[in-house]
Amino acid sequence: MNENTSETKALPRVSPAMDILERDDGFYVYMDIPGVRREDLKIDINETELVVTGRAPQGASDKETFLEVQFGPGEYTRAVSLSDRVDRERIKATLTDGVLTVFLPRLEKLAPRRIPVQTA
Amino acid sequence: MVLDFNTLYTYPGRFERLFEDFFKPMYGGEGRRPVFPPLNVSEDEANYYVRSEIPGLPMDGLELTLTEKSLVIRGERPTEQGKYYRQERPAGFFQRVVALNVPVDRDSVRATLTDGILTVILPKCEGCIPRKISIDVA
Repeated sequence: MNENTSETKALPRVSPAMDILERDDGFYVYMDIPGVRREDLKIDINETELVVTGRAPQGASDKETFLEVQFGPGEYTRAVSLSDRVDRERIKATLTDGVLTVFLPRLEKLAPRRIPVQTA
Repeated sequence: MVLDFNTLYTYPGRFERLFEDFFKPMYGGEGRRPVFPPLNVSEDEANYYVRSEIPGLPMDGLELTLTEKSLVIRGERPTEQGKYYRQERPAGFFQRVVALNVPVDRDSVRATLTDGILTVILPKCEGCIPRKISIDVA
């Protein structure tokens, strides 16, 4: 019980809006995570998923009184399942202006290859 | 395009809405927000603060206009090219109007954009900060 209450006191969990696109070279994932600095962002890849977590702290000081609140501090978490066609070694992520872009390159197709036979 | 006149404007029913909003979970559970971009308005002794989550735009892609009675935030979120599998991020033109029914020091309004969060600081004008007037007893 205690663990649960301490978890709710932490920042509320927010699922960020996400776009997934396919282009010729692979898949692109865009996520809106405004307020997250680069050092507060974590991207983990496990067997089947790519998990993004980031904390956006409250930007206001304590002295301010709010007249209108439409967004608040939060912890962004979102998981994307990875397809087999993605080359996991070459995944690239960039964070600009509060948008995370993850590039998932497609696995190079295995070109048919002839195996030379050597004579002993 | 989204247009509204919500902030600092005392429309009827505002107080009731405030109570309802207070007891609701912050993002309504389903994670969808009615308007883009969401705004926070706050004040302290010296300034008014307008904050907004506008990810994906550089500062020059954003147009801020301060008119006599309002602050207008306007811009366009670009759409990426490609085959979409999922599209949840709002795209296209947006505009939000913050009605200013209070005097502000127009010449020293500042705006910053960091990590997709826009902060506009509107200083209260010098003469408008409430002052205590001492009454001398004759």
